[in-house]
Amino acid sequence: MGWETWIIATLSRTLAYGTPLLLGTLGEIYTERSGVLNLGVEGMMIMGAYAGFSTAYTTGSPWLGIMVAALVGGAFSLIHAFASITLKANQVVSGLALTMLGLGLSGVLGRSWGGKPLPVPISKITAPGLSKIPFLGPILFEGQNLIVYLSILLVVVMWYILYRTRIGITIRSVGENPATADSLGINVNRVRYLCVLVGGILAGVAGGYLSVAYRPAWTEGMTAGMGWIVIALTIFAFWNPAIGMLGAYLFAALYHLSFRLQPWVTPEFLKAMPYAFAIVVLIAVSRGTLQKRMGAPAALTLPYTRGEE
Amino acid sequence: MKPLSLFRVERRPVPSGRVVLLVSILAILAALVVAGIFFQAYGVSAIRAYQLIVKGALGSKLGLAETVRRAIPLLLCGVGLTIAFRALFWNIGAEGQLLLGAVAAAGVALFSGLPDVLLLPAMFIAGFVAGAFWGLIPAWLKAKLGINDVITTLMMNYIAIYLVQWLIHGPWRGPTMRGFAYTDKFPSAATLPTISWTRIHWPTLLLGLALAVLAYLLIIRTRAGFEIRVVGENPDAARFAGISGFKTTLLVMLISGGLAGFAGVGEVAGIHWRLLSPTHISMNYGYTAIIVAWLARRNPLVVIITSLLFGVIMAGGDVIKVSLGLPFQLVNVFNGLILFFLIGSEILMRYKISFSLRRQ
Amino acid sequence: MKTKVALIGVIALGLILGLGALTMAQEYVPGEPLKVGFVYVGPISDYGWTFAHDEARLICMDAFPWLETVYVESVPEGDEPLVIDKFIQEEGCDVVFTTSFGFIDGTVAAAQRYPDKIFFHCSGYLRNPNMATYMADFYQIYYLNGLMAGALTKSNKLGYVGAFPIPELKRHISAFAIGAREVNPDAEVHVRWINSWVDPVAAKEAAEALIADGCDVFAFTEDTAAVVHTAADRGLLSFGHYSPMYVFSPEYCVSGQIAHWEAIYLDFLEKIYSGKYTAHNLQNVDYWWLLQEKAVEMGADKGMIINPAYEDQLKGIYVDDPVLGNISVYDLVMMRLQQMADPGVTFDPFQGPLYDRKGTLRAPEGCMLSVSELTTMQWAAEGIVGPWSGEP
Repeated sequence: MGWETWIIATLSRTLAYGTPLLLGTLGEIYTERSGVLNLGVEGMMIMGAYAGFSTAYTTGSPWLGIMVAALVGGAFSLIHAFASITLKANQVVSGLALTMLGLGLSGVLGRSWGGKPLPVPISKITAPGLSKIPFLGPILFEGQNLIVYLSILLVVVMWYILYRTRIGITIRSVGENPATADSLGINVNRVRYLCVLVGGILAGVAGGYLSVAYRPAWTEGMTAGMGWIVIALTIFAFWNPAIGMLGAYLFAALYHLSFRLQPWVTPEFLKAMPYAFAIVVLIAVSRGTLQKRMGAPAALTLPYTRGEE
Repeated sequence: MKPLSLFRVERRPVPSGRVVLLVSILAILAALVVAGIFFQAYGVSAIRAYQLIVKGALGSKLGLAETVRRAIPLLLCGVGLTIAFRALFWNIGAEGQLLLGAVAAAGVALFSGLPDVLLLPAMFIAGFVAGAFWGLIPAWLKAKLGINDVITTLMMNYIAIYLVQWLIHGPWRGPTMRGFAYTDKFPSAATLPTISWTRIHWPTLLLGLALAVLAYLLIIRTRAGFEIRVVGENPDAARFAGISGFKTTLLVMLISGGLAGFAGVGEVAGIHWRLLSPTHISMNYGYTAIIVAWLARRNPLVVIITSLLFGVIMAGGDVIKVSLGLPFQLVNVFNGLILFFLIGSEILMRYKISFSLRRQ
Repeated sequence: MKTKVALIGVIALGLILGLGALTMAQEYVPGEPLKVGFVYVGPISDYGWTFAHDEARLICMDAFPWLETVYVESVPEGDEPLVIDKFIQEEGCDVVFTTSFGFIDGTVAAAQRYPDKIFFHCSGYLRNPNMATYMADFYQIYYLNGLMAGALTKSNKLGYVGAFPIPELKRHISAFAIGAREVNPDAEVHVRWINSWVDPVAAKEAAEALIADGCDVFAFTEDTAAVVHTAADRGLLSFGHYSPMYVFSPEYCVSGQIAHWEAIYLDFLEKIYSGKYTAHNLQNVDYWWLLQEKAVEMGADKGMIINPAYEDQLKGIYVDDPVLGNISVYDLVMMRLQQMADPGVTFDPFQGPLYDRKGTLRAPEGCMLSVSELTTMQWAAEGIVGPWSGEP
């Protein structure tokens, strides 16, 4: 197999498998940028997967499934938002509880849905003309689906909002220095709620994508730890949507390669990479000034109460 | 005219033990009620389900034995976590530290060639060291470089999982296991004795109980314990007083990681007698222990009770699976609900509502 | 006074223990209603291994009015002693079926703890007077699938997504390769492992990796239809596994392996009921049941040996067989099926001369592999490409 076909195949799979990682990461980036740590991504994702599948199966409309998945993910995230923002509970514990709840609930509800083939999945798209473009054609325009394209668009949009608009500055200031933001008249808690919600919606869509487009089917626990990779990727991305895209695709590529290269490379080594990389990244940015520019939002995991700083 | 106010909300300085207990019980009850809705949805009366669970987990010999067996790793991890949490070190990595302890124990049991009588003590020591090592890495990263502990400990969990998988699929796969992904069975001198027909590996249980007491004494009575508490409650004051946050962080994770390592030794030497798939060695003990420690309000002695409580829940999960045919995942729902109600109830404890007719 | 109390205490204790021992050690009386407990390693909804066992259980319930059953799903390995204890002590089971290799320790220990109860361990190799073993193996069917795969492939690359590199899968893949190369000496079987019995995402990506490597016909061991779906998405052929998977892809699922555990279960339970098998004579009872005993079936669906859409194609491909002469692949498959399914089995895929992929002779001319050699197989047949952990 020539180099070209190798790369094309790898990148094609990267897009397919990397899309849920990307969606989840984009959402968690916004959540954490506003200062809230949401460890419940796995729970929201799998609830989205279940809700998406069951809706798509019963209604025959996969897109309705995706929408419901988004709603369910969002609703779930609000539990965490309420607990950590309004009740100012410990965010770590709240996020873990959300994951447990999501895994448990989806396992209980999804019991009878396992193994059923989805009659109408999200259709694959092969653009007739575009797929002939050498190299990029087969990667981007053959056999992918609309959600893949939308997620790439989302990267651009979310990057732009975060770095080039007032909304983005608002979000970032709430995450860096909520007291100052508050004094400037920004409603810190409202911004945080919205960012957590965005995270939940995107995590839900990521899960729905898995069960309605990628597989398409439902199996208990099918996210298999993707939510935790998303949390690692968020750090790896330096909380930047553009780097997040690179990270998501890089790890999707590694996952694919762990099978492709199996005769030569230990798969466990490649699978442990995302997690080890995240730690390496954190070490790399821990030096003072770099920390300020590319490090975690200063107020991450700290609940904000006016007058209590 | 100033409006009349019927009740005032004031911050409560430090909630009394009674309040804490009351609120905690209310939280658990609330979770039970909500979970009861699920039982109803499955056509099982919630009361009957809870009756079965209590009877199954506590009322029968088998059930009680299972409860205690589940409580052992929760106890060890939980005690360690109370120490870490006291210093505000968010050790989410007990799961990984437990696995490292299991790996070390397996390594000693299968490959060290030590004389029989030394095997078990060596396994425990090795398990402690391995778990402590796994915990010290994130500790050092936080103490020296200020890196977030939640993330590092979490990531270390996954690296530990893949380490175990690599070992059982690769270099440590047992030749007698016909290609299945297990190590060989440990020599019998490397297995822990259990109470007659139960699966309670009592040496680990005794170790856990003793360590709970020791940890309590450490926190309350020793200088190190005092320093740990100050670092956790008032980091500025700690710095002022010359207490080394660096050393304290390392110390608490040495203990927390080491204790989780003990739990890992107990699981492979007491229950499985081999190293196997990480999800079978630990059924989320490391994560459940967080709730155990949290519920115990970071008091190592109270962990004895809370670990038993969660042992009941886990054994209860088995009961509902076997007797009621309900999915085991309900246990996760249950744990999640309890956790949410607990943290939600924190706010009830932090604020006091007093009724009075007074003009403000 | 003290001695009196002590005496009463001792007698009472003795009574209790004795009664306890009696109730626990009540051995089953043939002809009485029989209660059987099933310990499942996965969920019934897996539509694979556990689903097939449960189907068999239901068939037994229909067939035997004197049979009562209980089951528990998703029992993690290491937890089976608890479930077995509950089955025997609380549910009053006379017989316990443990349906996974990983339950071996717990089953052996339970067999020793309850010498008057009967235990039936699937895919195991240890036995006791009260513990028998059983397996319904697919290797013959994989050989037949291989015949078809070798004929239908255009790229000469067959893909196999495997769970764990254990002897069971190794002999299945080897049988597949032997069949494929019999009709197509250029065929290769490329293998990728996912190290899990159930992981549809991993199975899909492994299949995609094989597709990228050029494979165009697929077989697999994983408890979902992920590989069938993935192959079908690209118009590639596959063979279903464990349960009828024709429904997942009527266009591209050519055939497959279907388990009929009930063949074994009905036989075993009948023999217990009639008293032929007791808790004392099972030391050498090892069911190694294949096509002949109807414990396994080849097909894309029950009763559908080959997907009708592919019959003509297979009828149109001819090969030269040393014994049968010039024969269509379709006829060859049917002939072999008959040779292995009819009483007095006259063919086995693993008959000599048989070399592994490293060139070592594994079965001399005129010899077959013994059951023990089959169940401990670690080598790879010729034509297999890919990692093969534990290869001798």
